[in-house]
Amino acid sequence: MRDTPLSNCEREFLLDIIKERKVSCEVTLPKLRRPTEGILFVNVELSPMASASFEQGRLTEEGVELSRLLERCLKESHCVDLESLCIIAGAKVWSIRVDIHILNHDGNMLDCSSIAAISALAHFRRPDVTVKGEEVTIHTSEERDPIPLSLHHMPLCVSFAFFHQGKYLLVDPGELEERVMDGKMVIGMNKHREICMLQITGQMLLLKEQVLRCSNIAVVKVMEMTELIQEALLNDKSSRAKGLKCGFAESATKRKVNRTWKEAMDVNSVPGCEVPSDSDSESDEDVESKISERGDVNVLGHGVGAIGKSAVSKWFEENTDDMEKELEEERNKSVHTNSSQQEKAMTAVMPADISGDHEGDSEEEAIQILDKDLKLQPM
Amino acid sequence: MWFAGFSSTSNMETKQLARRVVMPGEKINALKNCADSSKIILGPGLRLEDEDICVAKSGILRFREPNVYWVDSHQTRYVPVKGETVIGIITQKVGDTFRVDIGGSEQASLSFLSFEGATKRNRPDVKVGDIVYCRLLVANKDMEPEVVCIDGQGRSSGMGVIRNGGFLVRTSLSLVRKILNADCVLMKCLGNKIPFEAAVGMNGRVWVKARSNKETIAVANAILASEYMTNEEIKNMCQRLADALDGF
Amino acid sequence: MEISDGSCSTASMSCTLGDLSQPDGSASLTHGNTQVAAAVYGPCEVRLSKEFPDRATIEVIHKPKVGLPRCEDKLRETLLRSIFETAALTALHPRSSIQIIIQEIEDQGGLLATSINAACLALLDASISMKFLVAAVTAKVKHDGSVLLLPQEGSTEKDSLGIITFVFREPDKSVVCSFTSVGTLSLQQRNQCLSLCQEACDTVFKFYRECLENKFSKIK
Repeated sequence: MRDTPLSNCEREFLLDIIKERKVSCEVTLPKLRRPTEGILFVNVELSPMASASFEQGRLTEEGVELSRLLERCLKESHCVDLESLCIIAGAKVWSIRVDIHILNHDGNMLDCSSIAAISALAHFRRPDVTVKGEEVTIHTSEERDPIPLSLHHMPLCVSFAFFHQGKYLLVDPGELEERVMDGKMVIGMNKHREICMLQITGQMLLLKEQVLRCSNIAVVKVMEMTELIQEALLNDKSSRAKGLKCGFAESATKRKVNRTWKEAMDVNSVPGCEVPSDSDSESDEDVESKISERGDVNVLGHGVGAIGKSAVSKWFEENTDDMEKELEEERNKSVHTNSSQQEKAMTAVMPADISGDHEGDSEEEAIQILDKDLKLQPM
Repeated sequence: MWFAGFSSTSNMETKQLARRVVMPGEKINALKNCADSSKIILGPGLRLEDEDICVAKSGILRFREPNVYWVDSHQTRYVPVKGETVIGIITQKVGDTFRVDIGGSEQASLSFLSFEGATKRNRPDVKVGDIVYCRLLVANKDMEPEVVCIDGQGRSSGMGVIRNGGFLVRTSLSLVRKILNADCVLMKCLGNKIPFEAAVGMNGRVWVKARSNKETIAVANAILASEYMTNEEIKNMCQRLADALDGF
Repeated sequence: MEISDGSCSTASMSCTLGDLSQPDGSASLTHGNTQVAAAVYGPCEVRLSKEFPDRATIEVIHKPKVGLPRCEDKLRETLLRSIFETAALTALHPRSSIQIIIQEIEDQGGLLATSINAACLALLDASISMKFLVAAVTAKVKHDGSVLLLPQEGSTEKDSLGIITFVFREPDKSVVCSFTSVGTLSLQQRNQCLSLCQEACDTVFKFYRECLENKFSKIK
């Protein structure tokens, strides 16, 4: 068995698959079978932003697989100490909810989601609680510092893609690679070399040596990723201690071509400036006349108004002489308005036939040919 | 883009107007005064509204002698235009026509008779998943686009199914136009260093094939990287690429 | 109610265009401490039930930070859709759809305005033809009558008499729509907010221009 060079792309996938995760908590009733444990709920949202094929609300097979694997990795490995989330046994416990929103899908969403989820759980602080007999007081973050969750360990997922019936192996597959792979193996592991979750999907059979080899590769990767997470958490802690701004707003790198930044600016408005069209004391007639002054609303009668200049009606073919004269006058006065209305109703840009100009600068996809005095010919 | 030798006021104004970033909703009526001839041709990104020339897309305003203006924007989604050559992927066979994905909002249709030498008895060998290099016969906003693989005289002139491997790269539309521009040295320079075959579709798809897979990947990466490079930088890149490949 | 002298400040803004590889256009906008990510796909395929024969369908999805979408998200979706149906040239792409997806990342006041601005930037990034640009500004009237622009450091949408968001179009700064999200305001207060917001929307339009000039700075 040969493998293609390991695509060492932690940094790449942290950039390519930008994720976002939120942890929130609330006090709920505990599950009946586990009266002294808190509840952990993981929700993965495949946002339509991530890929055109994801639909809002509808959980595809991929989404179900993703959330199930992540749940297994987090819940069944008991990484979060659920007993510490208990407030009153059998009556009140904390329910922790992890929301993962996927912003961009360029392959291997599972690895990225697991890093995001673990970082969020490690970063999360819940409100402090005091229990006096039956009375429970939840302190706000202003009264008492919030408490972090107690995490036993940090299980992270590593994905492997197999090609040609297991002959070739790729770590951390990208989107194109995922589409052509034969099968996939996911190992959930923590830095103490304990495997928390193992799953093999796809139509292939693997040898024992392959599985062992993959787990060795996974150890290396998990060590690196855990270090990255710890570093990021430390940085955040120190910048919070210094009082610097932190949060998503600061997470984007400052010096990039496609990033623009503007300082806070002062805005001066003329004090007491009144917008002329409104005034406090109005009667109905005043309102109507004021509105018609603005030019666009014609009051035709009590309770009836028309907005906009009406165009010549095209429904009637028999015109009396008078009407024809009126129509003529109207036409002459407002030939531009009519044609522009027509234009707006039809196309804004009309494709014209361009011959012989494709090989070189085929920049002109659609051309509109106009006269200099810019009058559109009636169509 | 360059202008006539002598600088009259109209040319100076045009120079200042062009190469400027414009935003949708801006009115550029100064164009009316600048043109020498009596007609102005408004290209993509500009439209006429009530006697004002309005910008519809964000981008850089460009000018070409004698009287053509348009906006160069950066776009990845293709909007079909009649007469352009594109690379499509066959997705379905429905009776006598194929449905081709050209990257737009709708799939195009390709009749099996639109290949060179195809008759009712002699059907072309096209399967689902094949890539075809074709030309848009019908492309307007109201109708489903239609593509063909033959020209007006019934000859294929380079169009048809693309076989024998290679790799399809997806890029932005402006990169494709840049590559096809006579001023750009990418194709020539790259071709001198690494011989390769390429088909460039105006829908942002480029098919490349070189002698080996490694070279194919190198060519594909070179094309993707050249989006924001000047000609000088492109030449340097091609040189470095050739050196790197020789070193392997 | 006393109306104080109307000078105040807008918060700092920062935007990253084109960060995401899948969508046709994307923008991540931070205004003060409020941050929103917007992505645009289009013009692309539309479901038969939603297609219009003469124009493009604008679909907006607004996703909250925590939990499932609620009524207020649906309300924002409706507002955004009506704004962009007027602003975009939908007649150019009949029977197709333009999808705008907004993800709330952080909300410290002025979320609606930031969502509208981020969506406009994403549409600009995707180079979708538009009739005009829109900019939204939120003003908050406090109990003592003073008017603040949101988002603002140290100020949220709580403890206010009323909050109103205005959406303007370039270049005449006419109001496309206005939306009062909290409380009720008198006509005088509303006019005061309007004049303040009209001044402030200039900064937003200039910011759009800067963003695009940065983006096109590499293309000669």
